[in-house]
Formats: sequence, C-alpha cells, structure tokens
Amino acid sequence: MNTAVLKMLISKIPHTHEDEIGCDDCFDELHKFAEMELKGKSPEKAMPLIQEHLDNCGECRQEYQALLEGMKELKEYS
Amino acid sequence: MLNWFKRRSQSSNSYQTNEEWISALKPPPDEEAIHQLRTYLVRGLKASLYKYVDRDLDDFVEDIAQDSVMKILDKYDTFRGDSKFTTWAMKVAVREGYSELRKKRYNDISLEQYSRYDPDEKDAVEIEHEQAGPDQLTHESMLVKKVMRIMEEELTDKQQKALQFLMIDQIPMTVVSEMMGSNRNAIYKLVHDARLKLKNRLEIEGIDPEEILNQM
Repeated sequence: MNTAVLKMLISKIPHTHEDEIGCDDCFDELHKFAEMELKGKSPEKAMPLIQEHLDNCGECRQEYQALLEGMKELKEYS
Repeated sequence: MLNWFKRRSQSSNSYQTNEEWISALKPPPDEEAIHQLRTYLVRGLKASLYKYVDRDLDDFVEDIAQDSVMKILDKYDTFRGDSKFTTWAMKVAVREGYSELRKKRYNDISLEQYSRYDPDEKDAVEIEHEQAGPDQLTHESMLVKKVMRIMEEELTDKQQKALQFLMIDQIPMTVVSEMMGSNRNAIYKLVHDARLKLKNRLEIEGIDPEEILNQM
C-alpha cells in the first residue's frame, strides 16, 4: 500500500456511511433515475442514494452519462 | 391464430407503449420487434460509445446491440414498468457495451501479472522517509505514517489487493472483479467496507481526515 491509496481513501471518508448502496442496487434504478433527469425533474432529490452512488462510483457514473447521451440521441423525451 | 394476426398487424407499426414491447418480446418473440429493438439500440449505442471506441464503431455497436437483445429477451420480465421500456433496454445495452470496452482495453492483463502484489513490499512513504534525513521527519509525516499503519492493520489482504488494482494499477472495477473471481457489486462493497473501517478507526483514534489530507 502507499500514500496515494491512503489519500484516495481518506478523501472519500466524508462521503462514507453505512447505508451506501452498491452497483447492483444502482443499476436496478438507473433507468428510472435517467428518465426523471430527461424529463427535467430532480432525480437527485427523489433518489439521493442513487446520486450518492453515482458520485462515488466512476463506472456507474460513466454508464449513466452514456445512457443519457444515448437517450438524447433517440429523442424519447424531447 | 388471433395472436398471430395481432402480431402481423402490429408488425407494420412501431412499438410505442411498454405493453406493446413486452407483448411482442414474449416467447416466441416477434421478429419485427427484435429488429426494431436492435435498430434502436444501435442508434443509441453509437451516441453513447463513440467517444470511447477508437475504430470499427459500427461493428462494435452491432455486436453489442445483438448481445444486448439476447440479454433483454432473457430478462424482459424483470422490467417493472417504472420507465419507458426503451430506456430500460438502453440501460442494459450501455452496461453491456461498457463492460465489453473495459475488458477489451485490459484484455492483455492477466491475473498472474498482477498477482505479484507483495504486502511486505516497502511502500512509497517508507522509501521517502528512508531517503529523508532524521530532521526532515516531521510531526506531520509521523501522523501520515501512523494512518498508513492503521490502514494496513484494518484492511484485509483482499481489500488491499483490490485497492492496489483499482487505485495504483488503475484497472477498471469490471476487470478487477473478473481478476478476483468476483463481481462488480462485491468489489464496490469490499472497497466501501475498507472506507468504513478506516473512517471508524480514525474516529476512535481522534484523527481528523482533513488534517491528514492537509499533510499529504
């Protein structure tokens, strides 16, 4: 282990708590979260645990952004 | 026979509602629905993935759309109707696409290559301090050393190995989960548990995370 790992872990401590959800729970709700955002609602308020996971998990966040880009191209909500 | 006529008449239309999609994808699935779903996913995936695919985007997207359709047919009954069906389907396809991209990017990395991890190996802070003169070992660096020791005491070998892969080697979690014979959710939870252990121990020791960060 080195200080780089320590620094990254420590920097996430303020956002760390027992009730965080994992990637599976996030994935289960992601389409709903995306739909709210595409409809101009505030999914981060309605589903804060999903938002928190997206803030913490780079891969889920990347997929979420990609989902939004795909859906915008498909113009389902415009 | 009635269903066949219904499906025939629907074939010329696009599928607008969730009910129409679900009905058309029930076994035996309607070929026109599969074709439309595949076409839809290809369009969406191109927009989703073009930034990350260097070449042969069309071929890659076609393959991913095909695999995604198979997955969707396999689990369409888990769709709860809480969004448009197409959004749910696109979510499945995006996950498929990114998982494949991450694996492709790291397919040369084998578990053997990364099993060289040695928990006894000197870490960067130790080397740095060995190189520094005694007068340079300040109170601040002692605190960092202390927290390093805490981290090594608190985290399991598995957690340390996962962190090594993710944070030092910069390997995507999707790939790390395969390397460690696990899944992405379990690796995320493993790292979450590591953060939680460290947080709790720092609280017990009365160490402020901000103070450590300021000294690093």
